[in-house]
Amino acid sequence: MKYTTFNQQNVNQLDEPMFFGNPVNVARYDQQKHSIFEKLIEKQISFFWRPEEVDVTRDRVDFQKLTEPEKHIFISNLKYQTLLDSVQGRSPNIAFLPIISLPELETWVETWSFFETIHSRSYTHILRNLFTDPSSIFEDIVVNDEIKRRATDISKYYDDLIYATQLWQTQGEGMYTNEGQPYPVNMRELKKKLYLCMNSVNALEAIRFYVSFACTFAFAERELMEGNSKIIRLIARDENLHLTSTQHILNLWAKGKDDPEMAEIAEECAEEAKSIFMKAVEQEKQWAEYLFQHGSMIGLNKEILCQYVEYIANQRMAVIGMGQPYDVTSNPLPWMNNYLISDNVQVAPQESEISSYLVGQIDSAVSEDDFADFEL
Amino acid sequence: MTDRDNTYRIDIVDTVTVTASPDKTLLESLESQQIDVQYHCREGFCGACRTTLLEGEVEYTTDPLAFIDDDEILPCCCKPTSHLKIKLGF
Repeated sequence: MKYTTFNQQNVNQLDEPMFFGNPVNVARYDQQKHSIFEKLIEKQISFFWRPEEVDVTRDRVDFQKLTEPEKHIFISNLKYQTLLDSVQGRSPNIAFLPIISLPELETWVETWSFFETIHSRSYTHILRNLFTDPSSIFEDIVVNDEIKRRATDISKYYDDLIYATQLWQTQGEGMYTNEGQPYPVNMRELKKKLYLCMNSVNALEAIRFYVSFACTFAFAERELMEGNSKIIRLIARDENLHLTSTQHILNLWAKGKDDPEMAEIAEECAEEAKSIFMKAVEQEKQWAEYLFQHGSMIGLNKEILCQYVEYIANQRMAVIGMGQPYDVTSNPLPWMNNYLISDNVQVAPQESEISSYLVGQIDSAVSEDDFADFEL
Repeated sequence: MTDRDNTYRIDIVDTVTVTASPDKTLLESLESQQIDVQYHCREGFCGACRTTLLEGEVEYTTDPLAFIDDDEILPCCCKPTSHLKIKLGF
């Protein structure tokens, strides 16, 4: 089906599925099929922040004091996070927007991606402060094998979905061949690709950031690189919200509250989805090994970090009905929670914290008494 | 239905029974009695504190955004309005 930027057919948006229904026409939010996305948009906008607000100048001094293995840990994590947010800053837009059918979901995806671009810009902010010329760091991201291996897995499901959608929207259903590769395009295949892609994104938001987060906060526990830690806290808060949205999407499908065919696919592809998640967990654990190959840092080592990943994975797999496959029952890094509390993040309410703190708010409850001392 | 000191009884399955005051969030009440509950955002959007509610009623102080099943609550943003029976973890 050809994509149109303004579908002129009259469509009842309340009857549309989240994906693969009619293209969205009027961006209206007075009625919502799934009101959760509208609430997530409001929350995310209330979190707005700019990297430049955070002073990172003291980090440069701290960085010089780090040991070589610690520098490796710090810089490698920034490279990996730069990769993750490079992908997330564009892919939800390119992959999901052309097939979304609800205005509130469309706007949520745009809002979500926009915040990932803030994250990307904040890595440049951090690196520019640490190095006179950060080019070598950025350039290594596309040649470093450890990062490349993860990039392949992260982008694969997006790329599959995007290509199949392009074929479907330009040529319709059918069997296509490109460079000797067969591409069967039909609605069932498209929806399967979407389901697997959403699971891969969910695993990314749930797991892939957490080894890096733990390292950053472990530096902060020693009062090192605190500017960086402040930025990463803001990022962690956003990522938690993004994760909530993918969990909602997966559960709406699985519980048959959206497209009934997606509920069938969720059942059919349950094992594959679970293995996508568990592969992300394995890769995070391998990442911890790569980080600590030259030596660990005070307060953290590979074992405890791997346990933490498994602990987080258990929780996040349980939410989407995947059970708790790992044996960790208590939190091996309890101090992490202090860095993930939402209201420890910002100080001035007008900047981001309280969504009810409105610009130009007026007191609309005026009683007669308010005019008691008023004379003409 | 509160006890004379205006608290509710929180029965945690397989562990202990504690009390909770109706003007603190359930998470704060549990923490003040050294009950370990996982949390992150403390604002209802991350879902880290998801807990199964077996009996009783709670009221939310903020609209929970995180995904929770029909029998689950988010202790970080709710207060008890009756005696409760809960199961920590999930």
